[in-house]
Amino acid sequence: MNFLYCFKAEWIKKRRSLAAWLVIIGGFFTPAIITCAAIYRSEATRKALLKPDFWNKHWLASWDTIAMFLLPMGVILATSLVTQVEFKNNTWKQLHTTPQSYTRLFLAKLAVILTMLLQFLVIFSVGTYLSGILPSLIISNASWPTGAIPYQKIFSDSVFFFVDCLPIVAIQFLLSLQFKNFLVPVGGGMALWITSMVSLSWKYSYLVPFSQGALFYLKTSGRISKDLPVHEVALLYFTVITGISYILYITKKEKG
Amino acid sequence: MYCIETHDLCYRFSKEQSILNRINLQVPTGSIFGFLGPNGAGKTTTLRLLLGLLKKQDGSISIFGKDLAKNRINILRNTGSMIESPSLYGHLSATENLQIQQVMYQCAPSRISEVLEIVGLSHTGRKKTAQFSLGMKQRLSIAIALLHNPSLLILDEPTNGLDPNGIIEIRELLKKINAEQQITMVISSHLLSEIEKLVTHIGIINKGELLFQGTLSQLQTRQNLNAGFLFRTNNNAKALTIIMNNGWEATEQNEFLYLPTTDDLAIASLNRQMVQAGIEVYRMVQQQNDLESIFINLVK
Repeated sequence: MNFLYCFKAEWIKKRRSLAAWLVIIGGFFTPAIITCAAIYRSEATRKALLKPDFWNKHWLASWDTIAMFLLPMGVILATSLVTQVEFKNNTWKQLHTTPQSYTRLFLAKLAVILTMLLQFLVIFSVGTYLSGILPSLIISNASWPTGAIPYQKIFSDSVFFFVDCLPIVAIQFLLSLQFKNFLVPVGGGMALWITSMVSLSWKYSYLVPFSQGALFYLKTSGRISKDLPVHEVALLYFTVITGISYILYITKKEKG
Repeated sequence: MYCIETHDLCYRFSKEQSILNRINLQVPTGSIFGFLGPNGAGKTTTLRLLLGLLKKQDGSISIFGKDLAKNRINILRNTGSMIESPSLYGHLSATENLQIQQVMYQCAPSRISEVLEIVGLSHTGRKKTAQFSLGMKQRLSIAIALLHNPSLLILDEPTNGLDPNGIIEIRELLKKINAEQQITMVISSHLLSEIEKLVTHIGIINKGELLFQGTLSQLQTRQNLNAGFLFRTNNNAKALTIIMNNGWEATEQNEFLYLPTTDDLAIASLNRQMVQAGIEVYRMVQQQNDLESIFINLVK
């Protein structure tokens, strides 16, 4: 129960915060762009809506910019913002004098970030669905999408993207807990993301942190054929880095 | 019975830089303990150690008769605190800031409006705390510290940055809380004048050493022992002979002769004898014995 109280308290902290808005705006951003583009290219959209694999292609097209750029950037920013709220407001000392164990406080903060990531994936999926049906309502003579919605694929892809984002969460969480200066975690995250993008063609690119989401997208969209253990590596990174982060957090000499 | 007791508490940032040296603090239960010292004396470090915000290096800390290292969570459940500047989430309202603590401490939600009423912030509504004045932030921090009805309140310079009116308000508020709820309070300050009207006990720290602790009257008694008169004349040697011939012992302090008495008759008699002996008495100064001068003398 105590963990739930900590989680609830952490959840209150993100009210009206930039991180909270980032999840909502980020989730609807790409679907909104896709909707506008579909309305603009109405002739092509009319034809696409008639195809049986419409939803499959629409789902992959929606992930195109998200997987490579927006999702990693969003996770870097949101994780840093949520974690750094204590440094920003000088509240570590207040938090660490509440009757809660350090483990609970650590896990509650991490759980809020993971819940926000889930929230983003749900919003994004809803946004993608809306961006699929809205053009057929707006464009004259456009039909309702005829193909079946691939629920199974949407669910499994979302789970895999969630898993592949975990190394980003873990690294950003560690950096944001250790460094007071917001630029350190954000700068570090950007540097790692650029490294992962540059190394995508390398045969061991799946070992580079932050590359797993992009590699999964390239695989699922058929742009690479080799099976790479990206999800396993992502889970391993998350476990190890979160473990290190926890040890550094509880052994910190100054707690505020 | 002591609410807080430390034994040989030491803290150093490096081998060369010792911050606290064998602090044996004893805060009686129910007291308002003024923890006094100039800036950099070690007050905040001591308070942070008491709250577990700094890792203890040497010595022991006992609060409510329990070892802090082994009972941190239980002790914090009954402790309210405010260390240095207010700790508030600027993007949230006063109520939301209190909600966070209410959830953490699992106290009744009705306490939120109660403490807001106590500190006079009921009217702030949805206003973000980032837009609060410093005084409002200080009061909200006190509200947070009081929210869960603690038995011990640790406040580090709670009137810092407040105007005289605000200082009086906070002082009266703390007095009222102490009287009504018998909460033990430790209040640090670098200005004795600010807390002497509030505290029942006092501890004076300087350069990491605890120079005095006890009741206010004990401190005053100690100062009365040192009360005296200073004479400055054109011939201190001759004046000293006159003083000694009258059975007093005086000591030379720079250009002055220090006489350990404030007896009016004795001073008048000595002055008369000095003048009759042809000594020019330039100055006769009574040694200050207000609390501020005791403090200054102790930390000098």
